Amino acid sequence: MSILNYFKPVSTWPPEKIRQFLKEKNSGEFNLVDVRTPKEYEAGHLPGARLIPVGEISSRFSELDPEKPTIVY
Amino acid sequence: MEGGINAWKGLVAEGPPQSGMAYFSPATKPEEFIALAWFLEDGSRKFYSELVSTLTDRETKELYHELAKAEEHHQASLLKLHGELSGKAPDPGFAGSVIPSGKEGDLMEGGMRVSEALKWAKGKAMTDILELSISLETHAYDLYLKMERQAIDQRSAQVFDLLSREEKEHLERLSSLIEKRMVIRSG
Repeated sequence: MSILNYFKPVSTWPPEKIRQFLKEKNSGEFNLVDVRTPKEYEAGHLPGARLIPVGEISSRFSELDPEKPTIVY
Repeated sequence: MEGGINAWKGLVAEGPPQSGMAYFSPATKPEEFIALAWFLEDGSRKFYSELVSTLTDRETKELYHELAKAEEHHQASLLKLHGELSGKAPDPGFAGSVIPSGKEGDLMEGGMRVSEALKWAKGKAMTDILELSISLETHAYDLYLKMERQAIDQRSAQVFDLLSREEKEHLERLSSLIEKRMVIRSG
């Protein structure tokens, strides 16, 4: 990952904005990532969310399409 | 997302990342994925239709009648897609031809057996049954989204893209129907 990525601003959206975004967009238009533990994911996750625990992000970020917005929780 | 999932007031699916995918593991071709999905939709249709015949509350009967109709619509979409992908004229019995063993199945969306769901629903309050319906449909939506992401080829991805889009609409409709019923009851 380029060092410039560390300086990219990251937005925080309220749940209502995310819900509206997910309603309007098709699944192929964004990445949806759950960064919690497998147990937490199993207990409940947003439909279609990809599980990438926070400790694995650096090794698995290539699974995400960098051209699409990424929603993380 | 601000507040994380604790702040989320929308639909939530349960289960590990691979949950439900084993059902589709026998499929290797798009037509087989469609047939397997068709059987799941048929299971849900049977569940809702059976509820219509056993429930006594008129509004709830109407709601589940609409849900059964929605599943029929979903099956019709799958039939149409099968026709397009196979190049053959739509055949209502296509699923049994593609996956003969599926005819004996008792599964519905969400991975629950129709017989078990009906047994569980006996004597339950309408709100409990509606919550089960949303839970099962949400699980199906989650499954189809994940299957699309892992699809082995473009045509299979197309199948699950259609399914997830229809499931999303179905869930919005289900939520809307439930809200409407609650407004009528409280008004």
